[in-house]
Amino acid sequence: MYLELDDIKKSFGEGENRAEVLKGITCGVEKGHICVLLGPSGSGKSTLLNIIGGIDTPDSGTVSIDGEKTAAMNEKQLSQYRRKHIGYVFQSYNLIPNLTVKENIEVGAYLSDKPLELDEIIKTLGLWEHKDKIPSQLSGGQQQRTAIGRAIIKNPDILLCDEPTGALDYNTSKEILKLIEDVNSKFGNTVIIVTHNDAIKLMADQVIKFRDGRIRHNDLNTVKTPAAELDW
Amino acid sequence: MSFFENIRMAFSSIAANKMRALLTMLGIIIGISAVITITTLGSTLRTTILRALSSMGGNSFLAYINEKEVEGLDDDDYYLTSEDMITLNMLRELEEQYPGEFKVAASTGSSSATVVNSEKQYINVQIQGVLNGYLDSFGLKLKAGRNITMADNEQNKHSAIVSDIFVRQYFRNGEEPIGQNIEVSFENGNPFEFTIVGVYKYSELKLNSFPAGTKEIDKVTPIYLPYNVINDMKAMPEEGFYNLQIFYDLSVENSVAYTQICDFFDEQYKENRMWNVYIYNIQDEVEIYDMIINILTIIFSVIAAISLIVGGVGVMNIMLVSVTERTREIGIRKALGAKRSTIKLQFLIEAIIICLIGGVIGILIGLLNSELVGVIANNIVSSNPDYSDLLGNISISPSVGAIVISIIFSTLTGVFFGLYPAGKAAKMDPIDALRYD
Repeated sequence: MYLELDDIKKSFGEGENRAEVLKGITCGVEKGHICVLLGPSGSGKSTLLNIIGGIDTPDSGTVSIDGEKTAAMNEKQLSQYRRKHIGYVFQSYNLIPNLTVKENIEVGAYLSDKPLELDEIIKTLGLWEHKDKIPSQLSGGQQQRTAIGRAIIKNPDILLCDEPTGALDYNTSKEILKLIEDVNSKFGNTVIIVTHNDAIKLMADQVIKFRDGRIRHNDLNTVKTPAAELDW
Repeated sequence: MSFFENIRMAFSSIAANKMRALLTMLGIIIGISAVITITTLGSTLRTTILRALSSMGGNSFLAYINEKEVEGLDDDDYYLTSEDMITLNMLRELEEQYPGEFKVAASTGSSSATVVNSEKQYINVQIQGVLNGYLDSFGLKLKAGRNITMADNEQNKHSAIVSDIFVRQYFRNGEEPIGQNIEVSFENGNPFEFTIVGVYKYSELKLNSFPAGTKEIDKVTPIYLPYNVINDMKAMPEEGFYNLQIFYDLSVENSVAYTQICDFFDEQYKENRMWNVYIYNIQDEVEIYDMIINILTIIFSVIAAISLIVGGVGVMNIMLVSVTERTREIGIRKALGAKRSTIKLQFLIEAIIICLIGGVIGILIGLLNSELVGVIANNIVSSNPDYSDLLGNISISPSVGAIVISIIFSTLTGVFFGLYPAGKAAKMDPIDALRYD
């Protein structure tokens, strides 16, 4: 397995308020696969995503990408790990408001040793005519495209998407999912999408269902539905 | 992220909050412009005062008869005779030893005399016997011709230097005065003929003899004649000098001239039992003025620089606000793999750039201020011919050192006051930063 999680546990709070969010997660994702983490709010899927992304640390258990374990890493090595392996897409886009589309995407490029070609990415995202606009001049879909651009220009091994369509309408959501699908097939990144939208699982190679901090199902899809044909 | 990209990002974020950035810079601008104005005015004041001082005899020594330290002699035992005085003979030797280097500003008392021109008009004058350095001691400038020389004295030549006012009073038709003979009648009535060898520019500031409103035709100006000639005419015995002002040529270094003149008089008074000549170096006094101006400039600059600290605190405050505002941006950068040092550098560079822009604007305003003061000062000076005579054209001389120090200082202000906010940004936890609303 390319990405391996072994008995990941994580809890928040102290004493009576202590809440165990992840109760021993063990699973793996193949290189180049699209994996959908499904589950209701509070099921711990975002926490797991953050642990994979190296911005949160598990209380116990190990994460390894291509055999590289994060547990033993200090802060500097974790930065290096994120820089090398991880691209992030958030539900709320999180663009830098005073930078243009192009500059926002460049923020990702600066953090990579082997960035992809900027203009090509902007064209792939369908943002060429908007490249000099600032985020407040863009629609939600366009902002999310920009955020995806910022994540993938680093050419990350793993693209982590935390509810990427959570703030978007039906049609725009499908566009964004299609873009993620295109990126996956074009650049071959492993993609992990966290969502509570059951329909999205159809476009994935692998579907992991969560409830109460445990994996309830971990299935491989034999037949994938293209994102454009999803319906909900 | 490259250094250049950091700078671009910083400019972009400053541009996003122009008004805020400008207000933040204001403290730095005021501080730096105050420092530049003060140092520029200080250095201008310094050059102007030093130039004025040297035009008033800065390149001279005072020589006076002084008690030798002799064992067994009390203060009461010292007595001065005419033989102990500095004689004209000594001064001639001085000139022979160092041709053209030293000029002695000695004079007889002045007395009244009259001159009659070709149109039988009487012109009242003062006459005074002088040695070759007398004009210099008053800062009087020759307009034409030459000075009274030691040779004029030695050879009892009837040479005369007259004022430009006298020239207008005497030569009503604008004749060329140099080489003309004039007849001077002294108080006792005897007329003597003198040849005009030079014309000096009359200076009210330096000679200061007429009440305001005196008509030019009524002005009584000095005619300078050789010292010896006057002494002879008045049948005054040659007594010699108790004290003298001795000018040295500006091409000679002060220290060299000082050693020469000291050695010369030490040699002359070697045989004298009780007396020698003490040489007071006026340059020492000039150096004290120099020092005082420098100290004042430094003190005022330091006071002005204190306002930079206030400015720096303003920068720190606004950077802290900026860090808080951009918490999410920091979170994203960290999530995408930005190192602590990258985040730190980004905010540090932003603080430095704010301070540097403030510093440069401050320098420009400071120079503008100084230039403005220079224009006003020059207007005042040029409206009074006597001041302009003494001070000339005041040229504002910005201190390059102060400009360089200002730039370094504003950079350091940026570093010092940017370090804490930048450190705070760098230490943020990416998860908390991303959750921040």
